[in-house]
Amino acid sequence: MPILPMSGMEIVNKLASRGFMVEPEALELLKAKSSRDLERLLDGMDASAFMVTVEDVRRILSSEEVIRASVSGSSDRSHGSTVPPSQATPAYRSPAKPRQIQPVASAGEVRVLNDITNNSTCIGDYDEFVGYFRYRYTKLGDMIRSRVSSRPIESLKKGGRRSSSGDGKSEVAVIGMVSDLRQTSGGHRMIELEDPTGSINVLIMKDSDIFESPLILDEVIGVSGQLSGDGGLLIAKSLVYPDVPYTNIPRRSSEPSIAALISDVHVGSDTFLEDDWMKFLDWVNGDCPTDRDADLVSRLKYIIVAGDLVDGIGIYPGQEKELHILDVYDQYRKAAEYFSMIPKHIQIVISPGNHDAVRQAEPQPALSREVQDMFKQGNVTFVGNPSAVEIEGVRVMIYHGRSIDDLVSNLPGASYSRPELAMAELLKRRHLSPIYGGRVMIAPEEKDHFIIDPIPEIIHSGHVHTVGVCRHRGVILANSGTWQGQTEFQKRMNIQPDPARIPLVDLNTGEVSIVGFRE
Amino acid sequence: MPPKTSEAQEAYFKKLEAEFLHCREIATAARRKGYDPSLEVEIPSATDLADRVEVIMGVPGLAAHIRKCEEKMSREEASLQVAADIAEGLVGKFKDEEEAVQCAVRTAVAVLTEGVVAAPLEGISAVKLAKNDDGTEYIKVYFAGPIRSAGGTAEALAVLAADYVRRKTGRAPYKIRDVEVERFVEEIMLYKSIAHLQYTPTDEEIRLIVRNCPVCIDGEPTEQEEVQGYRNLERVETNRVRGGIALVIAEGIILKAPKVKKHVDKLKFDGWEWLDKIIAGSKPAGGENKEEEKKIKPKDKFLADLIAGRPVFGHPSRAGGFRLRYGRSRNTGFATAGIHPASMTIMDDFIATGTQLKVERPGKAAAMVPVDSLEGPTVRLFNGDVVRISDEKTALKVRPDVSQILDNGEIIINYGDFLENNHTFVPSPYVEEWWIQDLEEKTKDKVEVNSPEEAFAVSEKYGVPLHPKYTYMWMDLTTDDVVYLARYISASGMVENGELRLPVEQRSKSLLEILLIPQKVRDNTVILSAEDTYILCRCLGLNPDLSMKNPDAYAGLDSHAWKAVSALCGVTVMDRAPARIGARMGRPEKSKLREMKPPVHVLFPVGEAGGMRRSLQDASAYSKSMTDRIGEIEVEVGRRKCPDCGKMTYMVACECGGHTIPVYGCPDCGISGIEGDCPKCHKPTTPNVKQKIDVKGLYAAALKRVGERDNFEVLKGVQGLISKEKTPEPLEKGILRAKHEVFVFKDGTIRYDMSDVPLTHFIPREIGLSVEKARELGYEKDTYGAPLESPEQVCELRVQDIILSHDASNYLLKVCAFLDDELEKYYGLPRYYNVHEEQDLIGHLVIGLAPHTSAGVLGRIIGFVSSSAGYAHPFFHAAKRRNCDGDEDCVMMLMDGLLNFSLSYLPDRRGGKMDAPLVLSMRIDPKEIDKESHNIDVMARYPKEFYLATREFKAPKDVEKIMDLVSKRLGTPEQYEGFKFTHGTSDIAAGPANSAYKTLGSMEDKLKAQLELGRRLRAVDEKDVAERVINSHFLPDLIGNLRAFSTQQMRCVKCGERYRRPPLTGTCPRCGGGRVILTVHEGAVTKYMDVSLAIAKEYGVPSYTIQRLELLSLSIKSLFENDKSKQTGLADFM
Repeated sequence: MPILPMSGMEIVNKLASRGFMVEPEALELLKAKSSRDLERLLDGMDASAFMVTVEDVRRILSSEEVIRASVSGSSDRSHGSTVPPSQATPAYRSPAKPRQIQPVASAGEVRVLNDITNNSTCIGDYDEFVGYFRYRYTKLGDMIRSRVSSRPIESLKKGGRRSSSGDGKSEVAVIGMVSDLRQTSGGHRMIELEDPTGSINVLIMKDSDIFESPLILDEVIGVSGQLSGDGGLLIAKSLVYPDVPYTNIPRRSSEPSIAALISDVHVGSDTFLEDDWMKFLDWVNGDCPTDRDADLVSRLKYIIVAGDLVDGIGIYPGQEKELHILDVYDQYRKAAEYFSMIPKHIQIVISPGNHDAVRQAEPQPALSREVQDMFKQGNVTFVGNPSAVEIEGVRVMIYHGRSIDDLVSNLPGASYSRPELAMAELLKRRHLSPIYGGRVMIAPEEKDHFIIDPIPEIIHSGHVHTVGVCRHRGVILANSGTWQGQTEFQKRMNIQPDPARIPLVDLNTGEVSIVGFRE
Repeated sequence: MPPKTSEAQEAYFKKLEAEFLHCREIATAARRKGYDPSLEVEIPSATDLADRVEVIMGVPGLAAHIRKCEEKMSREEASLQVAADIAEGLVGKFKDEEEAVQCAVRTAVAVLTEGVVAAPLEGISAVKLAKNDDGTEYIKVYFAGPIRSAGGTAEALAVLAADYVRRKTGRAPYKIRDVEVERFVEEIMLYKSIAHLQYTPTDEEIRLIVRNCPVCIDGEPTEQEEVQGYRNLERVETNRVRGGIALVIAEGIILKAPKVKKHVDKLKFDGWEWLDKIIAGSKPAGGENKEEEKKIKPKDKFLADLIAGRPVFGHPSRAGGFRLRYGRSRNTGFATAGIHPASMTIMDDFIATGTQLKVERPGKAAAMVPVDSLEGPTVRLFNGDVVRISDEKTALKVRPDVSQILDNGEIIINYGDFLENNHTFVPSPYVEEWWIQDLEEKTKDKVEVNSPEEAFAVSEKYGVPLHPKYTYMWMDLTTDDVVYLARYISASGMVENGELRLPVEQRSKSLLEILLIPQKVRDNTVILSAEDTYILCRCLGLNPDLSMKNPDAYAGLDSHAWKAVSALCGVTVMDRAPARIGARMGRPEKSKLREMKPPVHVLFPVGEAGGMRRSLQDASAYSKSMTDRIGEIEVEVGRRKCPDCGKMTYMVACECGGHTIPVYGCPDCGISGIEGDCPKCHKPTTPNVKQKIDVKGLYAAALKRVGERDNFEVLKGVQGLISKEKTPEPLEKGILRAKHEVFVFKDGTIRYDMSDVPLTHFIPREIGLSVEKARELGYEKDTYGAPLESPEQVCELRVQDIILSHDASNYLLKVCAFLDDELEKYYGLPRYYNVHEEQDLIGHLVIGLAPHTSAGVLGRIIGFVSSSAGYAHPFFHAAKRRNCDGDEDCVMMLMDGLLNFSLSYLPDRRGGKMDAPLVLSMRIDPKEIDKESHNIDVMARYPKEFYLATREFKAPKDVEKIMDLVSKRLGTPEQYEGFKFTHGTSDIAAGPANSAYKTLGSMEDKLKAQLELGRRLRAVDEKDVAERVINSHFLPDLIGNLRAFSTQQMRCVKCGERYRRPPLTGTCPRCGGGRVILTVHEGAVTKYMDVSLAIAKEYGVPSYTIQRLELLSLSIKSLFENDKSKQTGLADFM
């Protein structure tokens, strides 16, 4: 998406296409913004609002400013002309003598809010699969229910038949899970929507305002519109996503603590960037060239790892040719050795990913006891994937990010270079991995662990090896890159990783900065 | 121009044609009754390539034009010329230019592929015209998956043909946009990761090609996967992967670049100069480099993707494996190799006639046949005896006592296969046929060698090497070994009655075994026969009393053992096994009736009403609800109208006796009677609508009509029709098929499948053919010109005669009975076949048809064998575009094709026209069949120069001029007759009838047998086999099924509806409450887990592999075991 200012007419049209009018003053403000800002504004608007006001523009876009300032160079590498001061890359220059950095205060407790580990009840029968999706329907449906007065789908068909002779104009609403998406030969969109009572086809006309609304399989949405004569078809007028309510006020720590978000270390791979990784460890240990770094490190109290700590074995065919350490437990031993170099006052949270030695089906439990025991220093908390933890009152949802693969191939506009946009789409759906049957393997657990509830302050993902941060309605969405260089596979797929750069979140202000460790 | 034939050959063809015409007359009479979709027989016959192309393309006058072009130029040039002529409007009439261009490109491909494969129609889904950014017009060729069946050359030349047409019609080259270039790169790489490509192009190669190729290579989506980078491009209609472009670019243009270049140069095209860069850049690895060191390089590619239960018979070039012997038996060649039937038996029956072996060289695979003039295997028994086995009976007898198979025996591979694969020769062993030629050079006398003494005497007298029969495998020993053996025997051996007795000692025993000397072990003493004692003593330089002839001779011997031995014995001792061919089992042989899944008796729709069995009986007892009529079902069928009485129906035959025609209409607008697009909404019209059918009434009427009672177990229909006009078959046909227990294929015919194996000569006895019957069929003389009087004489097989399996005859007898019933009871005509036993089938005509092709070949049954494969002339296979490397195809009775085949039944989708007899080739013209068959050698003996050339690692082309090949006989009567073979065999059906792979039960049993055989074969490393099976079969299976489980679809047991994910209603919403179940079960995921871990440990595979298995085992536990209930496990109570 080009980041260019837009003409007034373009802005008005764009807003109108989503059903918003705009105040003249607000339009003036927007003229100075990019098309991307406009998208952000639209994302931040309450769907029920009518007019975009100056307040809306200030409120929504100013909250993005902070992030944009620190992130623009990373998310738009192609446009990365100016490097904001807080980025200060490269942080590391030469192995100077480490400064003596006094931690501001010691880290608080890591409280696990939600985790599959030791709670897996799955035995893999059909009823569990049904239960898993029903749970999702109920939970996500409840989030929408307050905003639309919906009816069970089955009741529409009966009602439709009856009302066909009478009042056909009244609007009805349903809440359903998307079971099929297709384009009709006339160029309209057809959605098959399902609830526990039945299913109905929903038509989105190509000239409707909501025609461009991104929809994905197996998400739960509310639709209101008009029923066709026979009750077999709903012509959609508006769509409602569960989304984060606007009223969401993020919690903040009372301390100026910092959490470093990392993922995809890939210890054991022959493309693991050990030099860069060692620079990071040196930095954590106070080997910092600037005062700014010293300040950051002194406040650094948490390191959260969102999966792929090691490269694992047998993850893809022929992996043995690209491994430096062939034994998976030796890989973890090496990882543990690295993590033991991190000062003890820093709390570490480790969640697994698809390269780790746990089951591939998600939710994944924490690393095995055998592996955990290798990390002897006592400051590591092992959690599953996904999981939610609370640090100093701030809630962090950790998810490795396998579902981003599915989003990239199913959602127009989603790409590996902008993982944060995909994450925002997931947040709108209040679900970390809606699409079933794609790249994400699921274990049909009793609960749907992917549901984003309660709303965390931070969602932290990895997997795609690119760094990207954004904010959606107060929630920080961060993808934390990698410590692995370009692999053979990525070379073939022309995927450019963004290694050795990590987001740091100030738990007190919510500000995010990115630090790089690559020469 | 008709092919040049001898009188006898011409008479043969005429005989076939006459019989064909007779059948067609009967079928036409039946068809005229109007019970079938068409009043004519729907398989047109073709006499040559031009005819076939005209039929396939449906352009009148095309054949004459092709013949005219072919007179003046080569096939390739003719194809281009014809294409240009069509595009320019010289032949055929078309709606618009686009259609003409499309037909032009397709015709070019059709000519190139001999008018046999479906690729021109199915592989090129469309040719369109589009606009460049500068407004000029370019040509887009849409390739689809079935283009693969055309082969690389035709794929590449299709592009060239399109360019030729472009030039002739004055269109612009395609000017590609940068994003489109990158799209190609991404897409082809993605395709490579999903499907198989023979060659993986580099990014730069792809860019070079698509940037410069003057026509746009496009395609329809073939895979579900979508590209992720370059999506939603304006001029690329789909984001999904287009397999066709990958095939054409990688396997077509790049691999066949030199061939394309040749034509480009000849035609003086500009804009193709970039081909030089491709040729320079990607030298595909074809054969070893001649210049490199003269040594055999073991190749292990054939071991890739090893599957459980399919054994390895020899690791690459390893001693003990199959010993190469050059030559052709009457049942080998054309990618088929022969081994001794005892070798088949000794290897636990894993190899049978027709079993495919993946081989180290010269090609990738070969079908196997028994050739008993070869040397059989040599084995060591548990008691230490070493036995050379030269007959099946002995093999069976000693098999339980075999502790090691020391040598697999010989494998015969013909010169033609090396030529076809352009594989550098590997050295020939010293064999009798070579020895004789050495001797003939020295003397004209008739020399007999019946004993070792004579062998040495002859060698000494004439200065020729030692006769191969008396030569051991000296090359497998070192000179040290030779010296050791000589000294040990001299010191410790003793001779009794001429027999050497040697105390068992490890090294010497093992050396004697490596030499493959038959031996007995009694009372801890090795005993050699007198003959072998003589040879061994001579070769080791020992006197009959075991004293050394010259004790000083052992110092300073040549480091090559056979040279050392030559020096010791005074005559030249040659290599007996310089080349061994590694091999493993590929596909098992096949001989089986063709069934659709599920099997079908009649192409009649029963919808849900037929249940899972699609039973007509169930459907006629079905009622949707209490109020509905019993036996009335609602299915989608084509609307038809009777021109005589005007009645609307869905059946082909109207009650009034009229022959109905389909009525097209628009389902949305209700407009009827228009073909093409609806004038109102512009959607394509169709005759297909949901209609109510009274199955019960129809069924009862049909039974009555053919005079049958509903006393067969089940009459199976189909769930729905998938043909364009959804024409149902008459129920009567189904009733008679069910009565005779035969099944119908998608096109209305009944098929029987068999592995292809070649045969150029037969012995009447071995195929159950009496001399009288043989003479009746026209076999009046044997291959040597003598009158046929005994069933033991060898006859040369006519090119369209085939020999089937006994199992095939059982089925075809039923098919014939069905056809006779059909003629008599349905059409009211006299019975035609009247066959009761196998012998009666001899002389009847069949249609041979291969998958992916659309042209059948007329064949005649002349006999039967017990093997599970179909023997036919290599030309017959080549006419179907098959070779015999494990391919299989089918036969159907001629009358069945003529009576029951209809285009109206064919599926209306991509590939629907494949594997259907759209045209029938009446006679085989060797010029117009797959060129691979031209490389078959047909000589009685390979010349000595050939053997010498192999020892020099020459290229097969270097000796082509001294070899007699089919290619040299084309256009003369000798192209059909006078073929010879170098090695005879007494029974083409010897050895086991079926591979053990098919007769063993569970996968565990097969795996156990595979590893057990590996343990016994000297040439096999069973640990490597175990590791490969785990890595290439079990691990991918486990991982794949684990993934499948966690992303699986659901299915309703009642109506069979599949769901991408479980419906929230729990039960099936479609049929209203059917029980929905998983499609992947825990058992499918875990089935190989325990066995993998067990063999991993037993055979000591690397820890990396074991660790992978252990991790998977943990994953499985985590997925299928409840953490909570685990906690209340046994441990809690202790």
